[in-house]
Amino acid sequence: MYNVTRTLDAKGLSCPMPVVRTKKAMEDLAPGEVLEVIVTDRGSIADLPMWAKTTGQEYLELIEENGVLTHYIKKGSAPEKGETTEMKTITNEEYLEVAGQDGVTLIDVREPDEFEAGHAPGAVNIPLGQIDDRLAEIPETGDVYVICRSGGRAGRAYEALEAAGRDNVTRVAPGMGDWDGPVE
Amino acid sequence: MKVAIIAANGGLFDAYKVFNIATAAAATDGEVEIFFTFEGLNLIHRQGMNALPMPEGKEHFAEGFQKANVPSIGELVAMSQELGVKFIACQMTMDVMGLQKEDFVDGTEVGGAVTFLGSAKDADMTLTF
Repeated sequence: MYNVTRTLDAKGLSCPMPVVRTKKAMEDLAPGEVLEVIVTDRGSIADLPMWAKTTGQEYLELIEENGVLTHYIKKGSAPEKGETTEMKTITNEEYLEVAGQDGVTLIDVREPDEFEAGHAPGAVNIPLGQIDDRLAEIPETGDVYVICRSGGRAGRAYEALEAAGRDNVTRVAPGMGDWDGPVE
Repeated sequence: MKVAIIAANGGLFDAYKVFNIATAAAATDGEVEIFFTFEGLNLIHRQGMNALPMPEGKEHFAEGFQKANVPSIGELVAMSQELGVKFIACQMTMDVMGLQKEDFVDGTEVGGAVTFLGSAKDADMTLTF
């Protein structure tokens, strides 16, 4: 069971009140704390997960018992509205102009077999799935570039690094699938 | 997310469509502005909003509204304002109908079509009811 910080009883209320009350209750919670929302509005089954997704909360679970719906939502640490930043991205060609300069690190987030088959000189291979565990290997200063085959995984790596508080990351796209530069 | 809404009709169903979307958007961190024009002005009229008509022949839905415990329009108006939804009343319609700013709920601003267009031009969605 979840460690519930606050319980909101919105039973009997219909749309849009469960969402409105949930928003207000959530304002008092700190990131990581869990809100329990008890409702009977069946629209909430779809609405509250969508609300959580849109506002940057983590939707945990819905438990339904005798027509009573209990939602568990963990407060996210998403940036306040208006602060969402665009993903910094440069092209392969733009990267080649800075490649090799002091303070430049290229992280190739493809799988090891893809990396071995050919990668940019000096690139460090940290597959996307290992980013969170290998944060220590990624410099906090200088310019860090992330690359993959076509830009998708590099984008997710960028987001993971941004979520970890790194602000020195740039994505290189499209990536190795369309690479004209030197290869090792 | 920025939402621009035009409320141009003055029935009870219209009011629910407008305010449910508006409060839901505002509660989902949306920035919402509603432009009330023609009969839509009824929705924020101090007295009028409490006596909005059901569509003809649909009066039997009154019971359903009660059973579903749907908030009153007055409550939804207050809730919208609390969540930061901006109300703009159409000056031209007010002139035609002989209405003053004071006839509307507190916090209502008055503007013309350009005021609405100005806010709608960078809205992520524009809805008309």
